[in-house]
Amino acid sequence: MNETTTGSILTTEGVPLKVSLQKAEKRNKIRAILLVAPLLVFILVTFLIPIGDMLLRSVDDSYINTVFPKTFKEYKKWDRQDLPSEELYKTMFFEVKDSEGYAIGKASTRMNYAKSGWKSLLKKSKRKFKKIEEGPYKEQMIAIDKKWADMEYWKALGVMVDATTAGYYLNAVDLKYNVDKEIVRQKENRRIYNHTWIKTFKVSVLVMIFCLMLGYPISYLLSTLPLKYSNLLMICVLLPFWTSLLVRTVAWMVMLQQKGVFNNLLVMANVIADENRFKLMYNETATIIVMTQILLPFMVLPLYSVMKTISPNYMRAALNLGASPLHAFWKVYMPNSVPGISAGCMLVFILAIGYYITPELVGGKDGQMVGNWIAYHLKTTLNWGLSAALGAILLGVLTVLYWVYNKLVGIENIKLG
Amino acid sequence: MFKLIKATFLGLIAMAFTASSYADITFVSWGGAYTNSQQKAYVDTWSKGSGVTVENYNGGLGEIKAQVEAGNVTWDVVDVLPDQAITGCDEGLFAKVDQSSFLDDLVVAPVSDCVVPQIFWAYTAFYSKSAFPGKKPKNIKDFFNVKKFPGKRGIHTWANALIEMALVADGVKASKVYEVMSTPEGIDRAFAKLDTIKDHVVFWSAGSKPLELVSSGEVVMSLAYNGRIGAAILSEGKDFEYIWDATVLEQEYLVAIKGGNEKEALEFMAHASTAQALADQAKYIPYGPMRKSSIDIIKKGEPWFIKEGGNIDILPHMPTHPKVLKRAVIADPVWWADNGAEVSERFGAWKGN
Repeated sequence: MNETTTGSILTTEGVPLKVSLQKAEKRNKIRAILLVAPLLVFILVTFLIPIGDMLLRSVDDSYINTVFPKTFKEYKKWDRQDLPSEELYKTMFFEVKDSEGYAIGKASTRMNYAKSGWKSLLKKSKRKFKKIEEGPYKEQMIAIDKKWADMEYWKALGVMVDATTAGYYLNAVDLKYNVDKEIVRQKENRRIYNHTWIKTFKVSVLVMIFCLMLGYPISYLLSTLPLKYSNLLMICVLLPFWTSLLVRTVAWMVMLQQKGVFNNLLVMANVIADENRFKLMYNETATIIVMTQILLPFMVLPLYSVMKTISPNYMRAALNLGASPLHAFWKVYMPNSVPGISAGCMLVFILAIGYYITPELVGGKDGQMVGNWIAYHLKTTLNWGLSAALGAILLGVLTVLYWVYNKLVGIENIKLG
Repeated sequence: MFKLIKATFLGLIAMAFTASSYADITFVSWGGAYTNSQQKAYVDTWSKGSGVTVENYNGGLGEIKAQVEAGNVTWDVVDVLPDQAITGCDEGLFAKVDQSSFLDDLVVAPVSDCVVPQIFWAYTAFYSKSAFPGKKPKNIKDFFNVKKFPGKRGIHTWANALIEMALVADGVKASKVYEVMSTPEGIDRAFAKLDTIKDHVVFWSAGSKPLELVSSGEVVMSLAYNGRIGAAILSEGKDFEYIWDATVLEQEYLVAIKGGNEKEALEFMAHASTAQALADQAKYIPYGPMRKSSIDIIKKGEPWFIKEGGNIDILPHMPTHPKVLKRAVIADPVWWADNGAEVSERFGAWKGN
């Protein structure tokens, strides 16, 4: 009897039970890890590494430092009052002249973001410097192009001398470094991003609200109708969901444009005059209408799956006990469907905030969202740093919203089915 | 039996090797009537053993840069605009090309060492005759005059050519446009002019869209690539009319992407830039060849444009026709390589606010 209280319990092999259990558990753990390993690797490679790369790019300014290391070292000694000394001109001269391959081309693209004009200046200089054999260099450089005597160009270099920069983030919220590296507001006629951020949130929230308003009754109907009808209705929800996004977007163009089906019908029915056709296409209204239709299934499906589990007995009980239908719905049914509402709203909002192709096609001049600017800088201006900063801010905002949501509602209250 | 299997097997391996020694290439261009003309003029006639896959894109160097940086190049030959040709060549995205065979035959000097010539094209204003039964718009001033010619205007979503056209509409001489644009006041002036039509514009980004907008009556006038307008008039019999004023003449080049199948790409580009190939393209779309000798071939061959029931004279539809050229702005790709990013941001702010 004493053995069991003083020593540990042994298995039949004589190993303490605790050790044996730990062993078995460890084996299970390894097996579990092996099973999820492919997924982990997949997420790492396709998700975490690219996002990490994006975050790095949004602050990285190191390339330019590898092209002009000596110039930047010399640059830090410059007093920024008068034109730089012969010494700085000379280091710049040799680093441009002796650079190999495409270094100058790539560097000049970066320098052109700080001050427009660097690009052609460096290209021209690279070509002409070959003929210059000996100093003094300052006069000869200015003779090649008088931009070399422009303080603005020299001052603009100052924002690039560090290997990391907050410049892209500043750009993404309509601020910038001036030539003295102080943070100032972007020139008024170049302020685009704050306006776009507000618009992106406005459109996403509106789309979410409209999806909820339209999706809630449909889901209710779906979950209460007899199977035979609800299946048909479900197909009506799913069929557009399965149709290509582009096809649906283009179909809306045909419907909504000024000489389109909708306006033509209204004119034919004499509801509106021919010259006051509604402007429903190529503006913000179009973006909201089309996105609502496209994202509706993402609201209906989670709502439906939650409503399906709400027993009709609850409502019956509430009505039996004397509640008015509205009161019963508000106090009994609605709270039960909150997990579905949360899931639907989250899904729709997160998808909407990063939307790109629909605003591009139907948004016209005032329906463009942040995603369109990210694509624009990726594809056209090649300013990937700015694209990365815009993307990182979007990611940051979503993370904060998620955190707030978790505090307020609790993430465990989300239900997809 | 075993020997037979072995022989077939070895034969198959050998075949695989001979086939792969000449790689297939992917040729990327802008789609629509333009790609169609390239397909007929030199893709279909390419018989060097490698297949050519044709893909479409909407311009920009983003995809190309991504492919080169990732070391996974799937595009081999791309049809690019001149400012992209400059930037891409400077940044090492494109392979260098031996230009000796055509250098003396070109109308203008090539913008970089990485290109072979294609065509001149122009941003051109046009309208549908049915939209203006009475007085018809004649010049770019009319395009910017919504009082005289009410109705919406179709314009593209980027700033190139719009700045130039706005300035000409504001009274600047076509030859002085870039001088004015190089001053901050000049850009202000262009935007002030754009403001006058701001509430009346519909934007497009794909080249086929303006034709659709004008056909459906969604806009009364639009800017478009002249070749698309011409192809619609000539092949489809649309009742479009050009406004041959302040057209902005642009160049178009082919480049080979570095790290792709460069050898095949360069051979294909040589084939695609012969005087005959460029002239043949004009059988299907009214863009102006960049080689002088191509124009000679067309002149001798007129009526050149292929149409069922009788070919049509193509030279009057070209943006390089002397009458058109007299009133045109010759686009300056160097100005845009320098100032494009800044002006584009301002244009974006103009669109959005």
